[in-house]
Amino acid sequence: MSVENIFSTLEEKFGAKRETLDKWGVTAVVSGAYLHNVVQFLKDSAEVKFDMLVDIAGIDYLTYPNHEGPRFAVSYSFKSIKTPGARIRLKVLVGEDCLKVPTITDLYANANWYEREVYDQFGIVFEGHPDLRRLLNHVEFVGHPLRKDYPAQKRQWLSTNDYLLPELEKRLETLGYKVIQRSKEVEPNDDEFLEGSVKA
Amino acid sequence: MGNEAGKPSIITSSLDFLVNWGRTNSLWPFPYGTACCAIEFMSTEVGRYDLSRIGSEYVRFTPRQSDVLLVAGTITYKQAPILKRIYEQMAEPRWVIAMGACASSGGFYDCYCTVPGIDHIIPVDVYIGGCPSRPEAFFDAMFDLQKKIKDESYMKQRAERVKDQLEMIKAKTAEAKANAKEFAQEKVADIKDFVVEKEQNLVKKAQFWKE
Repeated sequence: MSVENIFSTLEEKFGAKRETLDKWGVTAVVSGAYLHNVVQFLKDSAEVKFDMLVDIAGIDYLTYPNHEGPRFAVSYSFKSIKTPGARIRLKVLVGEDCLKVPTITDLYANANWYEREVYDQFGIVFEGHPDLRRLLNHVEFVGHPLRKDYPAQKRQWLSTNDYLLPELEKRLETLGYKVIQRSKEVEPNDDEFLEGSVKA
Repeated sequence: MGNEAGKPSIITSSLDFLVNWGRTNSLWPFPYGTACCAIEFMSTEVGRYDLSRIGSEYVRFTPRQSDVLLVAGTITYKQAPILKRIYEQMAEPRWVIAMGACASSGGFYDCYCTVPGIDHIIPVDVYIGGCPSRPEAFFDAMFDLQKKIKDESYMKQRAERVKDQLEMIKAKTAEAKANAKEFAQEKVADIKDFVVEKEQNLVKKAQFWKE
């Protein structure tokens, strides 16, 4: 019953290598094709069950010293609630030519917004995500600001508010409500949109 | 009384004084709090510092009922259109206080997502420094704003408004006149053409019968 055994199992089953650079030695590098299976294994059938997804983070290695290999990486941090102190991190390397990683929203519901954030800030596409939109930046933002080649002081104006009513109505309808009538005030007026804005 | 009311100078100055007195001592703030400055504003508003002492009795959470837009906190680009819209919804006369470093200049958020000072979006009357500002600084800003309001002249503003309206009416009248003239000229030209055609027809008919 220890995390050490899990690394050997991961290497046997999925060919996941342990990262040597990690100071705490809890990182395994997984290929994108096996990611979903690895996460399912960690959640359901491993010796120590990692039942909490702590964070998903994107990494850009563009200006990282002495780095070889793909430019981007996505790092998943897991924690076990039943075994205190047990933590593991999975890392998926993503090349610049194919920015795609399978989603894990079907296993962890909170991955939804984490993946949206990584998509927003790094432009990495999560395949099979139910609603992959920008989370932090506005709809008219061009580019992905946490990439190292994005100039940090480059500012972009938003011309109008995000129009979020259709999504709200969709969510209300899934909860059993029904939209019968919409008042005039909440309908977007064409005059309110400035030139070049996105009417989402 | 009747004689005094006949003197316009006395009426203007006293009306200005009265209006300014009323405005100065009932500044109702609209707290647009997005960060820690809003917490400082809360302590300014309640018992220990008590903003009601200078007449800012109520904090109104609707732009229709408030006079001072108090921007307390960081404004991001996603937030900017909302702030602008709230400012536009406020009724005249309206004033804006930028509270703290973030609202005044963007603060230390020198990055892609933060507006470097709300004066890029809306006009600001008073800036307050500090990160976050102390309640004393906020009181100082309110006194500054009161001084500013006392210098304003309601009658002058009204005269300017009337002047603008007059000019607008004049411009519109001129436009309408020009349009009417054009229309008349077109009509005259049409009638001339019509007459010329008739004449030609008559001449043709006359020639036919001669032959």
